[in-house]
Order: sequence, then structure tokens, then C-alpha cells
Amino acid sequence: MKNTAVWIFWFLTTLVLIFFMQNPIYLIIFLLGLISLGYHLSEKDEKSTWLKKNLQFLATIIFVSAFINGLFTHSGKTVLFSFPDSWMLIGGSVTLESLTYGAINGITICAIFLLFRVLNCALSVKQLTRLIPRALYPIGMIISISLTFFPSIQRRICEIKEAQMIRGNPMKKIRDWLPILIPLLVSSLENGIILSESMTSRGFYTRKTKNTPIFLIIGLIIGTFSIFSGWIFLIYDYPAYYYLPLFILGGIIIFFILRALSIQIETTKYHQEKLSKNDFLFLVFNLTFVFIFSSFMIFGNPTSLSYSPFPAISFPKIEFIPIFLTLLTYLPIPLITYDHH
Amino acid sequence: MKYRFFSFLIDLIVFLIGVLSLIAPFVFPEISSPVFSQSSYPIVVSLMILLCIMIIFIEIQSSILDSKIIAFLGIIIAMNAGLRFLENALPGPAAFSPIFFLIILTGYFFGSRIGFLVGTLTILVSGIITGGIGPWLPAQMITAGWVGQFSALLNYPIQKFNLKGKSGEIIILIFYGAFWGLLFGVIMNLWFWPFIGMIPGQNWLKNASIITNIQRYGAYYFTTSLLWDVTRSIGNILLLASLTRPVLKIFNRFQSRFTFQYRLAENQ
Repeated sequence: MKNTAVWIFWFLTTLVLIFFMQNPIYLIIFLLGLISLGYHLSEKDEKSTWLKKNLQFLATIIFVSAFINGLFTHSGKTVLFSFPDSWMLIGGSVTLESLTYGAINGITICAIFLLFRVLNCALSVKQLTRLIPRALYPIGMIISISLTFFPSIQRRICEIKEAQMIRGNPMKKIRDWLPILIPLLVSSLENGIILSESMTSRGFYTRKTKNTPIFLIIGLIIGTFSIFSGWIFLIYDYPAYYYLPLFILGGIIIFFILRALSIQIETTKYHQEKLSKNDFLFLVFNLTFVFIFSSFMIFGNPTSLSYSPFPAISFPKIEFIPIFLTLLTYLPIPLITYDHH
Repeated sequence: MKYRFFSFLIDLIVFLIGVLSLIAPFVFPEISSPVFSQSSYPIVVSLMILLCIMIIFIEIQSSILDSKIIAFLGIIIAMNAGLRFLENALPGPAAFSPIFFLIILTGYFFGSRIGFLVGTLTILVSGIITGGIGPWLPAQMITAGWVGQFSALLNYPIQKFNLKGKSGEIIILIFYGAFWGLLFGVIMNLWFWPFIGMIPGQNWLKNASIITNIQRYGAYYFTTSLLWDVTRSIGNILLLASLTRPVLKIFNRFQSRFTFQYRLAENQ
């Protein structure tokens, strides 16, 4: 299961679901799913390290978030203990409600963070590079060159460092960097000259392409501004008919301009990504989840998605459909396991 | 000339949209939607910044890039991303990072567009390599891009006061590095502060004046980030003080080799 487009679709669906869910029960199920998915996707000999590092991070964020909110926000009915009122900022009651509110915020942050970590594990460097739009072909080329040269530059750094240490350079002060940096810079730029000559001799991007019509760039700015204006209307809580047309207009303008720019660039794909049977299944499941979620938002009662511990803490309301939707993070696990077998 | 004017105008408009996205909580304090206080806020800010970066990339790639500059940038960015890993191996204070001095020097020497590309792409490439792709990346990219882009402006005072090759040149670069060491942290907190900043007196306040929110943000920044960013500033000062002269000499040596243009012979 390696198809980039399918993974990106899964990623966006999960991100939207996390945005809509403030119920801690759903968020915890999401989080556990993302942890187990990340564990399955990480390299064989790095699984335990991945798990340890991320659990440490999650624990820290959730604890700090709950602690800070509990210490400084004194709303809520269930008082755990109190600081004297004369203590600046923290003086007052520490309540279970404010601790819970902080912890829920922490869980949301962790879910978003983990989702990105999982995407980083699921896609290879090559796949991530391929996500750069074709309209940005020269920029993509710069990134490809950097990624190609990166290992050799790392090796060169180690070689120069070892050579300097053998010569007695203690490598303790900033000035000790000079004998590393200067040879590294010179040898790298010499490599760059060789590369540029071979690119030029093959006729690669030799002339300056001042051929992006100015109106296309102005169009991109208008599209971006349209999305920006829509966002401002959204955060001012205007009705949807104010901001939705602006989002759609901006999106359409940007899409068509990028498409127009992409058509001008001819590229050859040596390895076309295939949609395997598992990828197809994954996509179908994803689409089913999107359909269920959209139907639930339109026809169902999405109140259980949100939760507030104030004024007095209560157990969050749980419904079957949102619980089912949280399984989206567990969905790739059996398919990955099947792929490995 | 006309094209340069348009390029400048495009850069300015995109810069303003990017800055407005980051400082929206200060400029639009009457925000009432619950969306604002939810986790979608930092993601939308990141998306807006990403769009701004894309426009500048498209503008740059149609104005200055050719095969030689592409190769040059590829190598410089690979090297800078490599230096980011070296920061773990060599001693330095907390937020000390060796990537900024090269971003500043390339922007200063080769111009604002090259500086912008080195800044943004260094962060992107090291993010791809380390698996550090996340909602924080666009803000990091554009801020590092601005570090490189604005360093080209240092050419005006340095040329005006005839400081090229003198110690005054290094002093100005050091001040610039120290300033951006702090400003980088100030900008980097903006995209998540209204969402995460929960400490009373230091969180975003609805319907408050711009001054009040700046004061609250200032308090948040001073208590959570200042010390960290001071170490970045000190790192930039030390690196620029010790490495500027030799690096600029090398850039000078390679500049003509990377920027010459082919022309057809007159009899052809």
C-alpha cells in the first residue's frame, strides 16, 4: 500500500475529522489509532524508539497543557485544591474542569502532530518530493538535487571533521568550524559547477524562462486573496454564503492557473505509481467514511462531536457513528499487515 | 525595468498577505467564530503562507533561474541542510543553529530572490529528510525565506557608506543576524499563539485593542521564548563574526562561474 494520492486523501480526511471532534473519547480513540498505525509503519528496528519518543512527547504535551490551564484558569465547580488569592496569577482554585479542558487541547495538538508523523512514515522521500506541483518544476529540481547530494555532503563533513581531529583540531569553539566549513563549501561548489556544466550541455533549462505571463501571477494573487478574504469572513462568523463562494472561487482560480503552468512543462515519468488492490480497497473505505461523515453532519445530530467540561465535569456523550468514524485511523493497519505478508 | 517593478509589486503584495495571515489576531480582534479558537486556525494560517510561498516561487523561477543557478542552489541548500545536522555534533547553546549565517550571506551576496530560495528550501529539504513535515513547516519556511530576502537590503547602507570589504560590513551583518535571531522566534510563535497561548495575561483577548494584544503577546514571548531565541542570536553573531570574510571570498570566486550567460557569436 504505497500510493501517494490515496495516502494524501486519507490524511486530509483524518485532518478534517480531527478538526470537527472535541469529544475527548473520540480524540483518544483517534490518538491510539494513530500511535498503532505509526508503530506499524516505522522501520523494523526503529519501532520501539519511535513508540518511546512519541509517547514521551504526547505525555509531555498533554501534561503541560493540562497543568498550565489548571494553574491559570480557575473556572469550574469541582475544586481539587486552592492557592491563596494573594498569589499572583495562580491564586485561586485548581479545578478538575480546567485541568480536563487543558488536557483535551493537548490531545488535539498531539493528534495533529501524530497525523503528520504518520504521513512522514507512510511516504518515502521520493513520494514527498513528487508532491511538489509540476508548475514548480525548477523548484522541484533544486530540491531533488539537494536530496541527491545530501548523503555525499554528510560523508564529506565527516571526512573533513575526522581529518581535522587527526591534525589536533579540538572542535570546541566556533572558530574550529572554519577548517570544516571552507573546504566543504569549496568542494561542494566545485561539484555544483560540474553539475551545472553537465546540465547546460544537455540543454536543461538553459535560457531564462521569463515566459510566465504576468497575468497568471496576478491571477494567483487574486485567488490567494479570495481565500484569505473567505477566511476572514469565516472567523467573523458570517453566514456560509459569504465565505464559501470566495473559497471556491480562489480554489478554482489557483487550480486552473497551476494547470495552465503545468501544461507548459514536459516531464517524463519513468516509474508510474500503480494503484494496487489494497490501495484501491483503502480508497473505497476512505470514500465510504467521507460519505458517512458528510451524511452525519447534514442529517444527523453532530452535538456529540463537541464537548465542554464547564461548568461541572460530566461524562462525554457517545454515539455510534462518530465512534465508527474514529476507526479511520485503524483502517490502514490490516492492509499494511496484509501487504507485508 | 517594467518587469522588475512588477516583480517588486508582486513580492510586496504577497508579503503583505503573508504578514496579514500571521498577524490576523491583532488586526481583526472582533473575531467571533468558534473556528478561530479551534485547531483549524494554525492549519489555515499555514495554508495561506504556503500559497504565498508558491506565488513567490513561480515568480522567481520565471525571472532568475537557469541551469547554473539551479545547480548552485541545489548544492548550497544540501550543504546548509547538512549543517543543520552538524549542530547536534558541535557545541552550541540551546537554539543555536548554523543554518542562518549561510542564508544571510547568500541573500546579501547573490540578492533577495536567491536568499529567499535558500531560506525556504533549506527548511523544506531538512524537513523532508528528518520527517519534520508538519503544520509548523510553512511558517518556518517563509520566516527563513525573509531572513535571506531582507539581507539583500544591507547592500544599500554598505555601498552608501563605502563599507564593502571593511569591518563595518561585518558589523552590519552581525547586527542583522542578531536581530533576526530574535525576530525568527517572534514570528514563529505567531501562527499558534492565539490557539495555544492559554496563560492569563499572555493569551489572545477578543475585542481587545491591537496594543493590548501586542502587550499580551510580548508577555508570552518574554516568558516562553526570549531566552531560547537569545541563544540563536548569539550563535548568529559568533558565526557571522568568524566566518563572513572567508565565505564571502569564496562566493566572490564562484559568482562569475555560476552567473555567466551564453551568447551566440555575432557571425552566427
